[in-house]
Amino acid sequence: MEYEEAKQKIVEGLQKKQKVKSKFYFNDLAKILDEKPRVAKKLINQMITDGVLEYWSSGSTSMYGLKGAGKQAGAEHEEASDKE
Amino acid sequence: MKHETPLLDQLETGPWPSFVSDLKQEAEKRAKNEEGTEFQIPVDVVDDLIGVLELSYKHGCTHWKHGGIVGVFGYGGGVIGRYCDQPEMFPGVAHFHTLRVNQPAGHFYTTKYLRELCDLWDFRGSGVTNMHGSTGDIIFIGTTTKQLEEIFYEMTHKLDQDLGGSGSNLRTPSDCIGQARCEFACYDTQDLCYELTQEYQDELHRPAFPYKFKFKFDGCPNCCVASIARADLSFIGTWRDDIKIDQEVVQAYMGGEIAPNGGAHKDRDWGPFDIQKEVIDRCPTKCMWMDGKELKIDNKECTRCMHCINVMPRALRIGNDRGVTILAGAKAPILDGAQMGSLLVPFMKVEPPYDEIKEKVIEPIWDWWMEEGKNRERLGELMKRQGFQKLLEVTGFDPDPRMIQEPRSNPYVFWKEEEVPGGWSRDINEFRKQHQR
Amino acid sequence: MAFISSGYNPDKPMEDRITDIGPRKYDEFYPPVIAKNKGKWLYHEYIRTGVYVHVAESGDEVYSIRCGGARLMTTSHIREICEIADKYCDGHVRWTTRNNVEFLVDGKDRVQPLIDDLESRKFSGGSYKFPIGGTGAGITNIIHTQGWLHCHTPATDASGPVKAVMDDLFEYFQSHKLPAHLRVSLACCLNMCGAVHCSDIAILGYHRKPPMLDHEYMDKMCEIPLAIAACPTGAIKPAKVELPNGKEVKSVSVNESRCMFCGNCYTMCPSMPLADQEGDGIVLMAGGKVSNRISAPKFSKVVVAFIPNEPPRWPTTVKTIRKMVEAYEQGANKYERLGEWAERIGWERFFEKCDLEFTHHLIDDFRDPAYFTWRQTSQFKF
Repeated sequence: MEYEEAKQKIVEGLQKKQKVKSKFYFNDLAKILDEKPRVAKKLINQMITDGVLEYWSSGSTSMYGLKGAGKQAGAEHEEASDKE
Repeated sequence: MKHETPLLDQLETGPWPSFVSDLKQEAEKRAKNEEGTEFQIPVDVVDDLIGVLELSYKHGCTHWKHGGIVGVFGYGGGVIGRYCDQPEMFPGVAHFHTLRVNQPAGHFYTTKYLRELCDLWDFRGSGVTNMHGSTGDIIFIGTTTKQLEEIFYEMTHKLDQDLGGSGSNLRTPSDCIGQARCEFACYDTQDLCYELTQEYQDELHRPAFPYKFKFKFDGCPNCCVASIARADLSFIGTWRDDIKIDQEVVQAYMGGEIAPNGGAHKDRDWGPFDIQKEVIDRCPTKCMWMDGKELKIDNKECTRCMHCINVMPRALRIGNDRGVTILAGAKAPILDGAQMGSLLVPFMKVEPPYDEIKEKVIEPIWDWWMEEGKNRERLGELMKRQGFQKLLEVTGFDPDPRMIQEPRSNPYVFWKEEEVPGGWSRDINEFRKQHQR
Repeated sequence: MAFISSGYNPDKPMEDRITDIGPRKYDEFYPPVIAKNKGKWLYHEYIRTGVYVHVAESGDEVYSIRCGGARLMTTSHIREICEIADKYCDGHVRWTTRNNVEFLVDGKDRVQPLIDDLESRKFSGGSYKFPIGGTGAGITNIIHTQGWLHCHTPATDASGPVKAVMDDLFEYFQSHKLPAHLRVSLACCLNMCGAVHCSDIAILGYHRKPPMLDHEYMDKMCEIPLAIAACPTGAIKPAKVELPNGKEVKSVSVNESRCMFCGNCYTMCPSMPLADQEGDGIVLMAGGKVSNRISAPKFSKVVVAFIPNEPPRWPTTVKTIRKMVEAYEQGANKYERLGEWAERIGWERFFEKCDLEFTHHLIDDFRDPAYFTWRQTSQFKF
């Protein structure tokens, strides 16, 4: 899959669910892309580097979300403007 | 001190090193700042850390909140976000994130390098560490969000040092002291640990697994790094030829010239060393005996439990044909109960560049787990859910009685069609020719 | 406090970025005697508790002096370690897997001055900075987690109970008088960042109250589906809740009888705190091991279901652990680990010897494995 196509699928797929939740497991993203995990990982890594996606970590588990989306930033006092 | 700490003060007495005294000396050092350091986070950060801990001692519960967003750009692990839930009372620790720094294998250091770490951490962090965290990393406890990238930049550019893992990553691999200083080590734990850490940097920093994944490397079955209890893949050194015996030294142990077990029992009078009672009778397979003045071992029956070698390290030595036993799926109890590693590879040689371990064990298992593992399912749980046979199928190892404790006690074998002659498609009409309706 | 840049440019995070370099390579830190004799060691021997020599095929010797340390360690303390290592060990030092510091020297004549120096150093409150011990048939350092010092879901502190227990067990840290080595570990909640489930004695923090629900803020602070998904027992459901002011808000309900008090929901959602002064405390487990020596590795078993948190020195926890250690010291055979001893005499006898109360909480009722822990034989002891 071409990167731009993958990006479009991920952004659309995640935005569709935005009202319900903003954080997703890696496997949820691989499913949206309909790719094997190793192929999906390369594409998703690139989206992280491009600032399309960002990580969220519980410490034990990692999740992905569209950059800046969701309520965590507010709850964790890490809005972009708040980074002292 | 900035805060009164009547409860914590009670942890300064007694012989064991007091972390409270240590924190206090650090708070004092920062306040004095004799070095003239341009502290990049509040100077009274350690004072406030002591203060918030005292409050927890008073309230009987924690005052920390979790944060999941913070990290360094492009990495999904290595930073754990922490915020104080009383930031007005303790502004120095309002944002107080942890960094995991990938330790050198074997935890050997030079003072030059340790000081470089200390300089960086005094300058850009709290000066408080764990040496080391449970997984083995050097833990830097407490800095602000803005300093995370600065620390990472300096660490990679000046110290040639990377972060460790957290989240759904390969966690920082760790090892025992191994051949560096142990005569029991059956392979070079440090080299295997280092090489696999380097090989799988992408897996360590960019989470794409269902959950955490741990490698640990024990040089022998004594398991000083507890791999069998906590690593998804546990590498335990072993050998498949004969234990080497120095009969003269056996006699020296029997004559009381050398203390058994390296002197590990010498502060109590257990009576004179009795090789029959202490070694031969305690051997789990009863494969040892005295033949006159000679100690004999039926090595074919030995399961390499290490007891006799531990008791008489100067007389008995590990064999020469060495390798590794690999177990899979250990984990702590959450959720469905704790699991020990289950034996997958009875024996494999351990030789750089370790392609056999990577290509025949690690990578097929990851491919399987990444595709089939549910969110937050450890390898051991996937093994339970899909069966040990599936693990054999994906890795291609042949079934071996060494992999089991005992054979199954139910006959409910899920035969596959291809295992049954003629397959499963049958003609009911042919059947009816011989059997009436 | 002027901001000093490392060189990092926040507007161009990928500029000059170095990644994926891993740790420093182990061998650049080896002391010369280690580098020379690696893989060629013949045997080892304890000179005294905490001091041992390894002898190599070459005839070289390396003496290791093991010191207990709080794993929570400041740079002041690390710099002091460096100063000692520079003075006596040519600038080399190492840590063990259980948070002890080891100073290595390559000649017998270099041992005693180092010991004298280490033993002379004390913190202002009187505790040793570098107590020597932690080897052989004794009790070494307690591995532990963060506790109240830095964790968001602990049910007890970590550094405090460890200090209190090690103060009490100090004689065993400095002697070789137990039947075998005895490993104590602490994890401050059931998630066990520090895997304590195979320790001779495990100290485990445990919550006993389900999370509180901050309904007013739930939907503002949290993504409700994530909080629901975080629950390992499926006890959390979405719910509409009417606030005292009559306003209806989206929130969750918790099936409290299914809650296992793990705090995973609180990690995802700060509006579900569960820590509580009365609810939280300590579980003691016993009889685990990781070594394959003589018997197979074993899990620790729950032997005390709950002890309240008693900061700052946790006297009941300390006393209960001492009872177990002393009963083991008196009852076990040479080389027998605590779990092997308990299995030999039987668990009914273990509770008697250790003077521990047996309550219904200690009988497993969690999922399938529970059955395998009930007794399926007529053999037992009166």
